[in-house]
Amino acid sequence: MILRSTDSRTRPTLRKVRSTTTLRPLHHRLDPARVEEIPFRADDGVRLGLTRVDSGDTDRPAVLLLHGHTASADMFLLPETRNLVDVLLDDGYEPWLLDWRGSCRLPYNETGQKYTYDDVALYDIPAAVSHIRRRIGDRPLFVVAHCVGSLTLSLSMTAGLVPGLAGVVSQGVFLTPKLAGRTSLRMSLAGELLRSRIDHIPVDIRKAGLWSKYTPLFALASRGASCPDPTCQILHNSAWGTGASLFVHEHLSEATHHRLAELLGPAPLWILPHLRRIELARTVVRWHDGDHRYRALPRNALDAAARIDTPVLLLAGSENGLWLDSQRLCHDVLARRQPQLDVAYTEIPGYGHLDTFLGRGAALDVFGHILEFLGERR
Amino acid sequence: MREVNEDVSVYAGQRATAEAIERGGGGGLSVDALLAKVRTAAAPTPAGTDVAAAAAAVPDVEGPVPDVVPDVEGPAAAVPDVEGPAAVVPDVESPAAVVPDVEALAAAIAAVAGRHLPEGHLSPDADFFDAGGTSVGAVELVAALEDELGMEIALDDVFADARPTSLAHRWLSTSHTTAALSAPAAPEAPTPGTTWAPDTAGTATSGGTSAPVTVGSPLPPSAAGTRPAPAPGILPVPAPRTAPAVAVTPTPYSTARPEDLDQILADLALADRLPWTGDPEPLPPRRILLTGATGFLGSHMLLDLLRHSDAHVYCLVRAADEEAALGRLGEALKKYELPWSSEVRRRVTVLPGDIRRPHLGLSDELWTTLTHELDSVVGVAAAVDFLRGYQSLRQSNVIGTLTLAELAATGRPKPLHHISSIAVFNEVGITAMGEDDPLAHVDRLVAGYDQTKWAAEVALRRARDHGLIVTALRPGGIGGHTRTGAYNPQDLSSGLLSAFGRFRTVPAFNHLNAAPVDWVSRVAVGVVCEPDAWGYDYNLTGVPNTLDDVVRDMALGGMHVRVQDWDEWRTHALARLEAEPVPELAFLNRVLQSPTALKLCEATLKGPAATAERTAALVEALGLRPAARYDAQAQLRTFERLAQDGLARLPHKDDQPYLWFSETTEGGVGPVGAPADTPCSMALTLSLASMYQLVKERRVDVTGELTCAAVHPEPLVVEHGDVWIRPEEGIPQRHGMRHRLLSYRLALRDAEGGRWWLEGHKYARARRDVWRQTRALTVEIGREGAPAALAGELVVPADTYLRDQVDGIKVDPRLTSQEKRAAKLTWLAWFGLEMGRGLLGPFARAAADLLDLRRTTTPSEHHR
Repeated sequence: MILRSTDSRTRPTLRKVRSTTTLRPLHHRLDPARVEEIPFRADDGVRLGLTRVDSGDTDRPAVLLLHGHTASADMFLLPETRNLVDVLLDDGYEPWLLDWRGSCRLPYNETGQKYTYDDVALYDIPAAVSHIRRRIGDRPLFVVAHCVGSLTLSLSMTAGLVPGLAGVVSQGVFLTPKLAGRTSLRMSLAGELLRSRIDHIPVDIRKAGLWSKYTPLFALASRGASCPDPTCQILHNSAWGTGASLFVHEHLSEATHHRLAELLGPAPLWILPHLRRIELARTVVRWHDGDHRYRALPRNALDAAARIDTPVLLLAGSENGLWLDSQRLCHDVLARRQPQLDVAYTEIPGYGHLDTFLGRGAALDVFGHILEFLGERR
Repeated sequence: MREVNEDVSVYAGQRATAEAIERGGGGGLSVDALLAKVRTAAAPTPAGTDVAAAAAAVPDVEGPVPDVVPDVEGPAAAVPDVEGPAAVVPDVESPAAVVPDVEALAAAIAAVAGRHLPEGHLSPDADFFDAGGTSVGAVELVAALEDELGMEIALDDVFADARPTSLAHRWLSTSHTTAALSAPAAPEAPTPGTTWAPDTAGTATSGGTSAPVTVGSPLPPSAAGTRPAPAPGILPVPAPRTAPAVAVTPTPYSTARPEDLDQILADLALADRLPWTGDPEPLPPRRILLTGATGFLGSHMLLDLLRHSDAHVYCLVRAADEEAALGRLGEALKKYELPWSSEVRRRVTVLPGDIRRPHLGLSDELWTTLTHELDSVVGVAAAVDFLRGYQSLRQSNVIGTLTLAELAATGRPKPLHHISSIAVFNEVGITAMGEDDPLAHVDRLVAGYDQTKWAAEVALRRARDHGLIVTALRPGGIGGHTRTGAYNPQDLSSGLLSAFGRFRTVPAFNHLNAAPVDWVSRVAVGVVCEPDAWGYDYNLTGVPNTLDDVVRDMALGGMHVRVQDWDEWRTHALARLEAEPVPELAFLNRVLQSPTALKLCEATLKGPAATAERTAALVEALGLRPAARYDAQAQLRTFERLAQDGLARLPHKDDQPYLWFSETTEGGVGPVGAPADTPCSMALTLSLASMYQLVKERRVDVTGELTCAAVHPEPLVVEHGDVWIRPEEGIPQRHGMRHRLLSYRLALRDAEGGRWWLEGHKYARARRDVWRQTRALTVEIGREGAPAALAGELVVPADTYLRDQVDGIKVDPRLTSQEKRAAKLTWLAWFGLEMGRGLLGPFARAAADLLDLRRTTTPSEHHR
């Protein structure tokens, strides 16, 4: 059976005795002198990445950018298109980029210790926010968050761990995650079947090899795909085997399409139970019920939504193939249950999930909404 | 596309001057220049009046003068006037004598017309619509002219040519012919032109037929002069050819007006003045000039150009200065739900100008710079108005296009991408509309819009002979955006779609050649950015909708329509619009009453399906979204927007319900916190106005009554009630496993007028009493504005459930039995699926909790 075969072609790595975790270098076309990489650890000691892009001014509002799970800060720095960092710099903001522990610039998704989204909400985001606060003083701090970055941010916010933000832009999903029934089913079934055999799903066949225990996954992902690139197939056609679609293919430039394996890394399978619990409840819920270290987090973020103390812009592509219309649902639910909150919803016609940041036309179609929201509150 | 029509025309007053400059633009001593000299020498009247005077002599098509038609059939029509300038001169029937009258009348008309314009005044030579006049304004103008000047002018005449001078001439020639024209003409010269005025209708085939045309030439001197001089030898040809034609064209509005045809010929000849040009560099464009960016298609194309190329786009926008132009462009983009941010602005430069003016109204310096720096010219701007005539539209649609051709051919060679229209085929009875099929016969195009689009495309065909790379992109109907629903309120298809839904009738048509704007725009931009695609004709018509498709689509949305014959439908629609006027559909009303526009509609509805092999091949090669039928799903957002804006109408609660059934519940309630021991029951009727309501709002309307002694001894009436199916995706109201299946919210009134509310929920839980979960309603009842006083549980008795809610479903009796069955099944399938999903939710969560108890074994993949 292919799945049981051991992979003998990979060399063992040396046990890290003296060196620590290092981040893969960022890929950007900014002046290297303007990009400040901060040695940064989360409150539980895990090495993360925090990057500040220096604008030369010292009085600009700061914007913290949170990537999605398995992506990295690179998704906001695409050198081949007009990216969000360019746009923010031109509009008078100081971008900060956090690589939280789900970043593909960090090794944890593949080899590191396991974590849940509770850790991200409790340790990573609050630590980054307080670090930035120390540096910027009383300048306003905004957050633009994508996908799971936004989902975990909602948990931090409802826990009251990041108070006093000037505004939050949430892309894709916020408090009420909703997956298609098919995606949910595949995620649960495949996760259960595979979890004793593999612990992550790679997206780059060049690292897995043509004949490996992952081959059937790539083969399944290629079913009915229009693009022959296996990485594109497993992301665009199948979203790590779940059958959802991460972006509208036409929206990516050729260069971005070639870099997909660099922009999105392997997805860990051991995160699935938490994701499944969240998705089936249709609300962000805490994983650790018995662990008192996590008691700062609410059991159910939606019930604690009254603690949100900042304006929120919910963004979503109308064709989001992964989280569907979660953002519209979130807007409706919050409007009914927490009418005092300042929550707006903007749908980007024709866009999917990831292409709202990676798309070649994202600056035209998406970033304008972000700038407008930030501009009204800066 | 409509851009040119709508707003205040800054330049309206200067139009005549502009035209004059443009005429001079040809330079050199061309035939026209010589001719103009001869003309002015012989008839020393101001250019404008000279033209207008000539126009006056042309008999009306709609009048009893069918004989004029044949005259323009052949090229010979143009002949006499070139061949013998001397002969022309006397024909301009004694301008000196007529002009004072005409001028005075025209000035009076202009004064009246000015009041109906945003500017407040109108030059006698400027077109009322070009100056910003609207169709409503035209109706008012006709009324005012009758009241104040006693002129009875048909509305259609105003649409055909709305220059005050022309109107004056028309009035003088039709009603006061003898007084105004013949009388002064008599002493001057007894030319054929004068004797030939309307009363000579019977002498159609007389030898003199060709002469009047000379007289009748309404061409501006320069345009007239641009006619190529044909060999004199063809002169005798027309006479025999005219004879049969006379007999077959007795009905008015079946053919073009001769003066329009003359004008078309003259305008086509303008293409011959274009410079010779070479091949452009075959590279994707970096600097593009786009006209019509404030219009419906143009604004979508602007964004697509920015998205799918790295080009900087120069937008020609009609405005006084750059700030105003930028403002107009921004407004337009926002109106069509397109982004307008600093990111868009940094790649766009607006050029304040006017497509109707020479050199687009740009300074010479800017014009020269553009001729050398642009890589591509994209002409989208056009006046889209199905009521106005050729004279009124030509400046925007034909002359403007030729100016773009001049821009493209001058300096660095650039391709010209021209948005034409399927209207170039819009002849009643045309058999094929392929990309390379012959265009319509222009003399059988009646609507001014069709004529101008035909003339522009044919003129550009001539431009191709000058070396210019011209792409003609012909959209059919341009439907609303499939994602945003942005639509063109002036578009005929928007009006028709709204009317179909409102009146629940459709006229029998063959095909609707319509495609959504996002597809049309994307393909057009694909052509602009792909050098190998340049220079051909494309039909951007998508996949045509057949009558069957439309009827089926509407039925799918719960709007069952009946098919009527075109005339029957028109009468019916007009009567309905008369009985209950819809201001938003006023333009449709006017179109349905305009004889020329009707011809256009008829040709559109009875035309064949347009075919588009070249476009399909291109779309495939570029990897674009293939054309898909503009079906119910694609039209949904547009229809919602139409309804929101008052054009269309969605089925409403007060209408005859689409489907309904009854539901009875029994149980008990008691004070909150106490046992629920007071018997309580409800007899409700649940109804749907349409499937749309169900799928979009997930809501069912409720009527009926509540009987509960704890509230009131008499039954309470449901004043307003809703049931939501799986509200908020069933998300529990509080952390837990109780997912909501259904939510009831009723406003009740008791016999004494007291008001109460009832709120009830059916919950799904991970328990084995699934059958009961679907029936048990947990309720709270309270006085209006007060908290709940009573709580309890009402349950639908198991034995009535199937009887009432499956067997007892009633469907709108107006539907056919097949439609009824389909409606019933659709409801049951949809509702059943929703209930299934709702009930499954808690069980799935429970199962996941059990699975999470499994020990996590992590295989060692650390080496990776």
